[in-house]
Amino acid sequence: MQRKIFLQEPVKHIKINGKLTVDQLIQQFKNSGSFGAGKLSDACDIYEHMIRDEGCTVFLALAGAVVPAGMRSLVADLIRERLVDVVVSTGANMVHDAIEALGGHHYKGHWFVDDYMLYKNHIYRIYDVFVPEEDFTKLDYKLAEMYDEIANENNGKSLSSNEFAWELGKRLNDSNSILRAAYEAKAPIFLPAVRDSEFGFIHWLHASRKNCQNPLVVDAFKDVPEIVNICKRSPKNGMIVIGGGVPRNTVQSAALASKKGMDYAIIITMDRPETGGLSGSTLEETISWGKVKGKAGKIMVIGDAMIIFPIIVASVLERLGEDFKRIPYLKR
Amino acid sequence: MAEKAKIKKKFCGNCGNHNPYNYPKEVFCSIRFSENKNPIVATLWCCEEWNPTSQECYCVEEAMKNKKSK
Repeated sequence: MQRKIFLQEPVKHIKINGKLTVDQLIQQFKNSGSFGAGKLSDACDIYEHMIRDEGCTVFLALAGAVVPAGMRSLVADLIRERLVDVVVSTGANMVHDAIEALGGHHYKGHWFVDDYMLYKNHIYRIYDVFVPEEDFTKLDYKLAEMYDEIANENNGKSLSSNEFAWELGKRLNDSNSILRAAYEAKAPIFLPAVRDSEFGFIHWLHASRKNCQNPLVVDAFKDVPEIVNICKRSPKNGMIVIGGGVPRNTVQSAALASKKGMDYAIIITMDRPETGGLSGSTLEETISWGKVKGKAGKIMVIGDAMIIFPIIVASVLERLGEDFKRIPYLKR
Repeated sequence: MAEKAKIKKKFCGNCGNHNPYNYPKEVFCSIRFSENKNPIVATLWCCEEWNPTSQECYCVEEAMKNKKSK
């Protein structure tokens, strides 16, 4: 191998002259091409390719408490603008989406606080975000009533987590809600670990009610053919992973089961690979399973998704321009 | 010497089945909900199914302050 192939492109130094748009800053990062700046600019390029690739279905895997932290409207807008086609989320993120849809709030707090004092005041802490317990209580009450209604309408028939999420979205009257946006756009939204969230506790409340004959049945196994078929029918597939965990594995496993492998992959995480946990596993490791193609456009960005993901979206929206319209492949 | 446990007054806000609903005035009672009764009750109310909560909280204290201020 010739020595000169290692020394082809010099690092260009970042220049900040006057006003810069988000994408102009990303282009400066691209000039550097180094460290986190280089990875972030690669992620913007890959997302742009996913969007412009007419045969690509875009999956968004959501883990970590990004909805309580303020990413709710961003995700809802991406669904409405058809810049994300399928969402796979933790139950918890959608619980927090529903809390706000029902009039509750998340509050700016601090990580350095007397947590026992919060406990005595019925306030929950998610790092530096506070949630009053009564917002959960109101959610429990209202959703338990919705569960009754959904169960009565379905009369013992089981729902996939996607059907369940749409049933909730149908009943949430809030344009900023992710569940509502997914329902209106008929964008699939899977909650594979739905039980492991307040949704599970609400089910207990609903099912333990006197005279509850036919409790709501959500069958997460029903999700499997639904999501695998989406991968199968789509000529190409791309994923954006925020965090990792069950949502990441659900998307990747669909790519594996459909024998397709992801064509594009962006992972935003702060986890490390050494523990063997999925949230930190490298994209190379994912290739070994056939979940991501060896030649896929792929990047793992190490950083706080609350910072990284909005920057990626802002940069790509700027590139696409206001008149850009996308029709998802599976909606044509 | 071990501190004497405080004897709790029989209020919904001191009951093991309470969750704040309209803090500090009202609480949600999961027992009443399961019995198809109105689950939203006053923090300073109480029924025969009262049992002391393990949670130390300010519900009753704050509800009393709220009542006095009116």
